[in-house]
Amino acid sequence: MNDHGRRPGFLPPDPRVEEPYRFNPQMALRVGILGVLAVVVFCALFFRLWALQVISGERYLENANNNQIRSFGVAAPRGSIVDRDGDTLVSNKPGTQIQIWPAALERLPVEERAAMLRRLARLLELKVPAVRDKVEERLESDPLTPVTIDTSVGELKTAYLMEHQGDFPGVQITETYLRSYEQGVLAPHILGYVGEIDAEQLEAKADQGYRSGDRIGKTGIEAVYDTYLRGVRGEGRVFVDALGRITSEREFSQLPEPGDNIRLTIDADLQRASEEALEYGIRLAHDQDEWAADGGALVALDVNTGEILALASNPTFDPGIYVGRVEEKDLNALAAKSANHPTLNRAVAGLYPPGSTFKPFVALAALEEGLLGRDEYIQCTGEEVIDGQTFSNWDPYKNEPMTVSTALANSCDTFFYNVALRFYKRKDSPLQRWSRAMGFGAGTGIDLGPEAEGLVPTPGWRRRTFKTEIDKIWTSGDSVQLAIGQGDLLVSPLQMTRAYAMIANGGKLVEPHLVKSVEEPRNEGEPPVVLRPYTPKPARELGLDPNGVQVVQQALYDATHATYGTSQAVFGSFPVPIAGKTGTAEKFVTLPGFEGLRDQSWWCGYGPYEAPEIAVCALIENGGHGGTAAAPTALKVFEKYFNVEPGSYSAVVQQSD
Amino acid sequence: MATPVTRVHQPTRAQAFAWELGAFLRHLDYLLLAATGGLLAYGLWVLESVTQNDVAGDPGYYVFRQTIYVVAGVLLLAAVAAVDPNVYRRVRWPLYGAVIVLLIAVFVLAEEVRGSRRWIQIGFFNFQPSELGKIVLIVVLAGFVAERRHRLAEWGTTLGVIGLAAPLMALVFKEPDFGTTLIYAAIVLGALFFGGTPWRHLAVLAIIAGLVAGALLWFLPSAGIEVLEPYQRERLTGFVDPDVDPSGSTYNVNQSITAVGSGGFDGRGADNATQTKFNYLPEHSTDFIFSSLAEQRGFMGAAILLLLYGIVIWRGTKIVAVAKDLYSAILAGTVVFALLIQLFINVGMTIGIAPVTGIPLPLVSYGGSSLLTTLILIGLLEAVHVRGRLAGAR
Repeated sequence: MNDHGRRPGFLPPDPRVEEPYRFNPQMALRVGILGVLAVVVFCALFFRLWALQVISGERYLENANNNQIRSFGVAAPRGSIVDRDGDTLVSNKPGTQIQIWPAALERLPVEERAAMLRRLARLLELKVPAVRDKVEERLESDPLTPVTIDTSVGELKTAYLMEHQGDFPGVQITETYLRSYEQGVLAPHILGYVGEIDAEQLEAKADQGYRSGDRIGKTGIEAVYDTYLRGVRGEGRVFVDALGRITSEREFSQLPEPGDNIRLTIDADLQRASEEALEYGIRLAHDQDEWAADGGALVALDVNTGEILALASNPTFDPGIYVGRVEEKDLNALAAKSANHPTLNRAVAGLYPPGSTFKPFVALAALEEGLLGRDEYIQCTGEEVIDGQTFSNWDPYKNEPMTVSTALANSCDTFFYNVALRFYKRKDSPLQRWSRAMGFGAGTGIDLGPEAEGLVPTPGWRRRTFKTEIDKIWTSGDSVQLAIGQGDLLVSPLQMTRAYAMIANGGKLVEPHLVKSVEEPRNEGEPPVVLRPYTPKPARELGLDPNGVQVVQQALYDATHATYGTSQAVFGSFPVPIAGKTGTAEKFVTLPGFEGLRDQSWWCGYGPYEAPEIAVCALIENGGHGGTAAAPTALKVFEKYFNVEPGSYSAVVQQSD
Repeated sequence: MATPVTRVHQPTRAQAFAWELGAFLRHLDYLLLAATGGLLAYGLWVLESVTQNDVAGDPGYYVFRQTIYVVAGVLLLAAVAAVDPNVYRRVRWPLYGAVIVLLIAVFVLAEEVRGSRRWIQIGFFNFQPSELGKIVLIVVLAGFVAERRHRLAEWGTTLGVIGLAAPLMALVFKEPDFGTTLIYAAIVLGALFFGGTPWRHLAVLAIIAGLVAGALLWFLPSAGIEVLEPYQRERLTGFVDPDVDPSGSTYNVNQSITAVGSGGFDGRGADNATQTKFNYLPEHSTDFIFSSLAEQRGFMGAAILLLLYGIVIWRGTKIVAVAKDLYSAILAGTVVFALLIQLFINVGMTIGIAPVTGIPLPLVSYGGSSLLTTLILIGLLEAVHVRGRLAGAR
């Protein structure tokens, strides 16, 4: 058989392989096996394809669609907080948030995940472990909700991220609202601040519709009225590709609804004046060599309605540090020892012995209990010896008979020691009972958050609290201390202000509150729609004898206008008649480098005397005498309230040259 | 009166050439060529649908390049078919040496892409030596076994075959390219099987292979010795149970199965194939192109493709039977077996019945080296067929 195949002529045939080859049965078997194998393979492939595509096709189609769905939430603009006249205190400004979808990140291979996080962290100037922890935490709790990595990032970085989406799979940029403090640093203790909800809050409020990543008020009005302020978040769905880039229009199942506004009872101008007054008072104290003066509080209250017109605490802080990215260093600065607890609201949570400012209540209680007559004279001496202990008067040279009215105006300590002994003889602790009735030793119910209750010491309390037999006994000395506002008695400035309002309005205990109404926000120029006015509890009538109240009122007027009045120098020439009392309370304090007793400077009072409107209580911590630091502080607030020009009248305010 | 003179007609060179060309053309297996052509055309059409959104503004980017390779490949097929396969056998040792050198060169010259080095760049062309190695290994092993046709019962022959393949397999494995290593193993098996190695040898080898696999996948890792990378191990065991997946190695398979399943009976069309379009399916123009096809064209589209491959495999099997000598028979059988295994692993991986390895779908996946290699292999089949038919073998 002639072979016309292309075999090169010069090569001889290779007998080993090119000898005639028979297709023997063994080879036939093997070829047959190959054929069977091919048939098996193809059958397997066809059957599997049929199963996947025809039988389960619907299910996989659904999976393919679900692959792409991302749900998202849209933050609702938070309600604004405005003052009583409608001036905005806190509103919103737009900001950007950088978020990561934990589920999308999980889909990446491990090395790519780490690389992406490193790139992102480097771009945003964050630490990689911090970012990774956040993502992992959210992965465990709620992998389908994006976790916020950074806020208010800045245009350059936002633009870079948007241009390089491919390098950052699973990362998205969303718009959000950030709090804007329109009046600068004003009333941060009242307003509070907003932050991301943490695990405990989430657990506590789970049934109110809060979710991971929501913003929630942390302190102050922002916290207490969060359910009004936060509005309703928008919910929607969008389709994305494998890198998380959006491929469809957003569908909203719930449009975001803006939150309601809160109108406070606060007057922004008066509040600013109060905060400046506290700074002023501390300076005055320093001028008087009270080097330890480092803080204070002031409350201004409407005596008839209980509306709080101003509530200030010093030292203060800038709530703006909580907006956007919170820097560790800012938080550390607040927590530093030298900062002296700026976030503490001393007006409601600070406790101090009231000193002489407590005497009017002792007088009232004594008059009500019949332990003292309105015109009864008691000798006011330089000192008294009681049960072997010597108690002195602030004025060691005084020696004249006084009625209660004069004793109050003069702030005679020994007068009240005598009154104290009369209380001491009674077994039912009537002074403590009246104190509690007047609101001391318990919270006021103010709608601001946690407040301190203070302490009204009783014999029962002594027995319960102390361990040694000697300490468990209520001595005459304890009664004496109580009667002049010292000893274990502790009150807050808010409690004091409310109690002085009680004197001013003739014996009614009002409910102090900060919020006037909840309002629906309207466009510029349109009047707001009141959704819910605040209805405070009716003032509690204490049933005091009006004659007794009148005596104390007169005494307070004398304290500011009589020549022997302890703050006459400050208020005597004020064009609006103000009545009030100074206090100089000794308190044991621990300061850096010092431990011992310092005088707390108090002044509490109200005006106008004939038809009272406003009660003010000022406290300068470690400020020395009430008349030199706290009284001028309160004066500044009255100036603002009554629109009196400083300098248009004479007031003796002792400043050293 | 004249004596009849018979003159033997000597053909001229041109006439001889024309006759040989005619014989060549008469004895080609046209069904195989048609099926191959069908696969190429279908493949180009699929590639166009699948990659139309990949390069912004240039939907034909990949198709254009692939077409150039197709043309070059068809020419190579014709050239290879025209040459007697025994020519390759005689130059197999230089070829073997060249492949070893190229495979070593890969470690030096190639860029690392996604953790492996496979291609050497020669100007415009990305050349993958491991693909060339397939052809050379088939030729070398077929020749070796054919020469030892009378000594097949000896272990020396069997081990010799393995010994020849081992360096190539080791080099390819180190790239790392586990998929191609598997195909090399299939080639070894094919050569031994069609050469006529006794069954007991094959059984022993099967047991050893099973033990090695078991050791690599389960025993050694339990003892703390890792030969395979963890992700490689997970890919191999993961197809058995895709839900057990700590680091996302089977994410690809799940997306692939979703893509395939969502195709339904007649597909979602190119625009609605969201797994492809939005990049949920990785490697949709190369390793997972079958998934993309299944998503876009459904069961119908996939079935047509498998049918075409079926024709190729069937014709190839017949060619083994018509081979004119043992070497050609082994050559053809090994080629068919290698193609079958490659097809099964690639398609099976996309539908979750084979382990995940990075090997292309023959004649369809985008990639010049694979395309040319497969067309050369088919050219070898044609060469065997032509010679066999001409020799009048059964």
